[in-house]
Amino acid sequence: MDSGMDGLQADRIAKSPFDEYDYSNFYHSAGDDPLNILGPFDEWYRDAYPKGYYLYQEPLVTAPTTRITLKNGKTGRLQELINLASYNYLGISYRPEVKQAAIAAIEKYGLGASGSPILSGTFDIHRELEERIAAFKGKPAAVLFPTGYCANVGFISALMRAGDSIFLDQFAHASIVDGAILAKSNTIFFRHNNAGDLERKLGRAHGRKLVVVEGVYSMNGDLCDLPAIVAVARRHGARILIDEAHSTYVFGASGRGAVEHFGLEDEVDFHLGTFSKALGGQGGYVCGGRDLVTYACAFGRSRVFSCNLAPSAAAGALAALGIVEREPQLRAQLWANIAFMRRRCAEEGIDIGKSASQVMPVMVNNDRKIFAVAGKLQDRGVFLNPVTYPAVPKHKSRLRMSVTSAHTQDELETAVRTIGAVLREEGLCTR
Amino acid sequence: MHTLTRYGFSNVICGFFAFPTAHARRILPSDLEPIELHHDSAVFSMTVFDFTHSEIGAYREVVMAVIVAPLLKRGEPMPKAAFYPYLVATNTRAARDHAIQRWHLPHWKSDVDIQFHAQQGQLSALVTADDAPVAELAVTDHSWEPVAHRYQSFMRDDARLYQARVTMQGELCEHEEETGRLRLHRHPFNRSLSIEDIDERPFREQWMRDGLQTFEPLETLREA
Repeated sequence: MDSGMDGLQADRIAKSPFDEYDYSNFYHSAGDDPLNILGPFDEWYRDAYPKGYYLYQEPLVTAPTTRITLKNGKTGRLQELINLASYNYLGISYRPEVKQAAIAAIEKYGLGASGSPILSGTFDIHRELEERIAAFKGKPAAVLFPTGYCANVGFISALMRAGDSIFLDQFAHASIVDGAILAKSNTIFFRHNNAGDLERKLGRAHGRKLVVVEGVYSMNGDLCDLPAIVAVARRHGARILIDEAHSTYVFGASGRGAVEHFGLEDEVDFHLGTFSKALGGQGGYVCGGRDLVTYACAFGRSRVFSCNLAPSAAAGALAALGIVEREPQLRAQLWANIAFMRRRCAEEGIDIGKSASQVMPVMVNNDRKIFAVAGKLQDRGVFLNPVTYPAVPKHKSRLRMSVTSAHTQDELETAVRTIGAVLREEGLCTR
Repeated sequence: MHTLTRYGFSNVICGFFAFPTAHARRILPSDLEPIELHHDSAVFSMTVFDFTHSEIGAYREVVMAVIVAPLLKRGEPMPKAAFYPYLVATNTRAARDHAIQRWHLPHWKSDVDIQFHAQQGQLSALVTADDAPVAELAVTDHSWEPVAHRYQSFMRDDARLYQARVTMQGELCEHEEETGRLRLHRHPFNRSLSIEDIDERPFREQWMRDGLQTFEPLETLREA
């Protein structure tokens, strides 16, 4: 059926770059010039931006409280919105005592640390924060990193080497994956929260093994099945690292995270967390034994070769930690708001997947309509970030919703009604 | 003259599976780079075609492939994806001879039997070689849309590495619901694979129907 006739059929179903390709198409390419990918991606991005990508990186012009003012990426106009997109789960980052602590640190130390933590960049306030976070977590010692990303990358690559095996949940955060890449270890993904699959894969590995999980998974809001994972890892002699970025200060009677929630604090070897989620600050840390911390300090390259955490960020985190310890009612209020939103979402017919936490994905499950939904919500006063493929599987697009203790019930009620109305208008919710 | 070769199909089903990058590299020529789903996880695909018309008539074909980085050239349309078929099998000798001669595709040397089985919202294909089962792939239904997607296929023989630009046009259903299934049997056909490393559920499924596969002329990329 040779034919030398007309052009390819592809030209007859010509679609715009945004309809034809997705973000993932531009990651892998080969050829003789690395710049060859730039043109196609630029063409795609210029098409994608007005169709939805303007919703990313829109600048806030106010503090990330429950109500924000934001500069619309498409129109350039300022919009006042109910904020369901920031972490700040306990509404602490803008508390007066936190701001005052940061201001006082700037007065005392200036803008930044001006040095690596192993050289001139360690201040007394960093030591104080390390001692406080270790005490809070009930561990002998802690080491700070400039960010949570740096903590995972630096700690995993400090501990593991080529020939070792690192087992990651398939939904592990990019910082965990990047840590494994930098470690040059064998990286084996197991199905999400599936201890059976982990067991099958651990059974085929030899040598040093590390299992890495998260307390709460950031795209689904579901809780790690830690009891099953720990049991399997122990059976196979694997060490366990838990990233509690989204679960510390939220889960557990004292806020020590998923490990406290499950009563497994001593069963997990390495405890990693951040100050950027519930506390709304910046910085990451790893807690464990003193020998572990000494080793991470020596070989955690993302820490050694970065400027230390700004003293003002450390001071703010210290003040925020004090609030968490003094005011357990914040956590109680957060859980009351979570319960309220879970109930109201169910009543409105809004699917929040398997969320068991303050992170609630509003499942849109339509990769074509996700940006229209997010844009409409923004135009009606609700700020939620769209998440689509390849960050989540195809047809699993969602709006990432963060409930905080600071939201009033009026704000949450307004938001849930608006979300329900927009989903119904788009034919994505039938109730 | 720009000569196109066309193959009409009623159904094409495809499953994508993560498998160790080290295994992918063992299959690929050194010129080709496997794409990774995750770090250390390359992508293996199994595709089964039900061709209804072509210059060598109707036939069925199974293609085992590794997904690779596409070759980009300035000014040329960007392909959706690129693949390296490391083993192809058909149910007719004519189809096999045609694909070997024209496309340099590596083939299983005898006819295989391919049986499609349609159920509510699902299509499966059972491949049998030498009276023994090789593989059974099932994909499931989701939303459908008309598409015309460009791909690149890389082939090699003892002397050269080749590239063919392929367009797949038709109704496409693509999803990541993990509702499909693959059963690979221990059979010489699957000797390039470590079966225990391949999950039985595809992370992505594709089903195309009532369409046309169009090959542009083969291009030689490298002489030996």
